[in-house]
Amino acid sequence: MKTPENDGAIIALQETVLVVDDEVLVRMVIGAYLRDCGYRVIEAASADEAMLVIEQDKEGVVSVVLTDVEMPGERDGFALAQWIRQRRPGCEVILAGTPARAADAAGDLCEQGPMLSKPYEPQVVLDRIRRLLTLRRPPPR
Amino acid sequence: MGMGMAAADCQQPCAAPPPRAVVLIVEDEILIRMLLAEALRQADFEVIEAANGDEALSVLHTSPDPDVLITDVRMPGSIDGFALAAYVRRAKPGLKVIITSGHAGPDGAIGLADAFLHKPYELSAIVARIRMLTKDDEDP
Repeated sequence: MKTPENDGAIIALQETVLVVDDEVLVRMVIGAYLRDCGYRVIEAASADEAMLVIEQDKEGVVSVVLTDVEMPGERDGFALAQWIRQRRPGCEVILAGTPARAADAAGDLCEQGPMLSKPYEPQVVLDRIRRLLTLRRPPPR
Repeated sequence: MGMGMAAADCQQPCAAPPPRAVVLIVEDEILIRMLLAEALRQADFEVIEAANGDEALSVLHTSPDPDVLITDVRMPGSIDGFALAAYVRRAKPGLKVIITSGHAGPDGAIGLADAFLHKPYELSAIVARIRMLTKDDEDP
């Protein structure tokens, strides 16, 4: 779907967050909240869709991925997080899932912070995104 | 007219901007959905994104009605675009419908949709069509 203005590449105008969740109402609510907070939000309904978005994002515009853990399909949120860490190490990943799955999120998957318990408060997501993006900015000279 | 009047004017709340028209996109191909949603948001529409007919029904059952539904025809799940459009025509007659398809012809959309676009479509064309459809609602 090319337009004269771009060749399908994702153009960075502001920080871009990729929200990955198989529940449309969850995507809708957190997506609208983050857009109101000034972020550009891309929504994906599965890990496979998220991977297509990341592969299309040649410039590395997506800076944060918020992903549900439990999603139908071959890959869950853990698998997606590992794929992103290998493919785009500069991209921050926030995992969100039921408290029971939090015990599974051990080791280096939690380097970027503990897994968010669902249902999450949008403010909690916002705070985590802001903290991750602040930490990744180079310090002023 | 003095400072008192000016001060009173400053207390008046600013008129709220007119609400943006809401478009529900139903498209299973993520890159198409992403680009269409982006184009519509840049054109100042509020956009809800559904990856298939079942997700669209979840939205329609739980949220205030959008102004326009754009739906692909062939999608995974229990309901295709034609069936979704038929449901909307019955249950939500005020909702404008655009059907898009790379396979089906426009004949299947007769009576179900306000517009039909063959895929691949130009984003500017679909944005223009939605503007026309929503403008009809604004005009008295």
